[in-house]
Amino acid sequence: MRLKTVLWAAITFAVLAYLIAPIAVLIYSAFDDGKFFRFPPRELSLRWFREALASPEYRSAVLNSTILATIASVLSVAFGLMAALGLTRGPLRSRPIVEILLLAPLTLPLVVWAIALMQIYARLGLSGSVGGLILAHTIITLPLSVRILMATLSNIDPNLEDAARSLGARPLRAFARTTLPLAMPGVLTSAAFCFLISFNDVVVTTFIAGASWMTFPVRMYSQLRGQGVDPITLAIGAMIVALILVIVALGEARFKWSRRL
Amino acid sequence: MSIWSQPTGSLIVDPTPTIKNYARIAGDGYYIRGLLRTLWLSLATTALAALLALPLSWWIVRRAGRFRGLILTLVLIPMVCGALLPTLGLMNLLGPLGVINGTLKSLGLIDRSWKLLGNQTGILIGLVHAFLPLMVLPLVSALDRLPRDVEGAAMSLGAKRLQVWRRIILPLSAPGLIAGSALVFCAALTSFVTPLLLGQGKVATFATMAYQQASLVLDWPFASALAMVMLAILALIGTAAWGAQKWAAET
Repeated sequence: MRLKTVLWAAITFAVLAYLIAPIAVLIYSAFDDGKFFRFPPRELSLRWFREALASPEYRSAVLNSTILATIASVLSVAFGLMAALGLTRGPLRSRPIVEILLLAPLTLPLVVWAIALMQIYARLGLSGSVGGLILAHTIITLPLSVRILMATLSNIDPNLEDAARSLGARPLRAFARTTLPLAMPGVLTSAAFCFLISFNDVVVTTFIAGASWMTFPVRMYSQLRGQGVDPITLAIGAMIVALILVIVALGEARFKWSRRL
Repeated sequence: MSIWSQPTGSLIVDPTPTIKNYARIAGDGYYIRGLLRTLWLSLATTALAALLALPLSWWIVRRAGRFRGLILTLVLIPMVCGALLPTLGLMNLLGPLGVINGTLKSLGLIDRSWKLLGNQTGILIGLVHAFLPLMVLPLVSALDRLPRDVEGAAMSLGAKRLQVWRRIILPLSAPGLIAGSALVFCAALTSFVTPLLLGQGKVATFATMAYQQASLVLDWPFASALAMVMLAILALIGTAAWGAQKWAAET
């Protein structure tokens, strides 16, 4: 019995190690001093972190990604909240169809999205424009925010809002004072996930972005395909991963993210 | 658009409906082989993910206790980091000078590096890593719904451990397993960053072919046709998973 328990734990930790290893290696290799990563390392240093912070190209790429992801996730959560409210509360007769149309993209692969968007954009003359990129990122994140927000809203009692209304609050105020605060964990969760999806997206962005708006993942991707691993990307990647880890740890501790997906 | 065509060497699309693109996919061994290779990789990914996710999920549900949140966070990591950052780490882990080969060499266990990049092994390792969370999350929620004393009850009636798994835990967690398998299979089938980077351009999968056609060759109608074939396979998988769910619910 004792041996079996140990065996189970060993298997579990092996699987967990496999899940974490690439991230751990990414962070670790950013400290390697050499131009090409090798293990065991010759020397550890912060050299690539310094170069990363000094490089204007990478700075602007990371800034582009951040701006794009922020706008896309704000839009996505705003539209997602409206859609989820309508779907869970509204007297909509066509609800099932709207729901399927809004959630279906979740199961459609990004490559298929990207190929379709690329052609539509070429027709509309949106290719390579910032607006087109924001629109695309809003579209790919919207299904997820609708899904998370619908799950959140369906757990909130609509009578609360009615009660506020009957006490004289106007509709918008009633919503802002009762439903919205209760839905806040869901709103923050979906905003965070939309941000991460948009920030990390390579697939859709490589297909539709022009050279004018280089996001960090696209820059990293073309670098990887062209010249192999650049230690500067390792350093930036390590910083981004560290940030993501903090966000996810907070999200799991505060809002139980793993249950909301 | 997949039913339109594009004359060779031109970027102007001829909007007369045609099945030329589909005939090209069906008639060209390169695409058929790519399709079969992709299906095989996705199938292997799904099987490996299920094999790894089952013990992990069971452990999370039954044994993790107060570490549950922490472990689930660790499981989520590959999912929220996107495709690229873990792949970058994997390249340094699996490369000829990477952590695995470096460790084995300095221990004197091997003389020449194992080739883990630029072939199907590398892609498989990357795909399983990327999509394991898609298997673990549905499994955890399925196992959560099992009453805690089910195994105890079965064992008090004389069932062996393996029997408990085969006769009770697996059938009862089947909905989660089916949902997870469908998700992992579809994700693996259409992923293109992982195969492209870990395969180092030497292993063509269906999604990388579509990418090539759309972004490099600029034959958009043909790329659309490739995408439509992927969609058709996904629809098939979706229907099969739905049927399997119903069947599992009945038995």
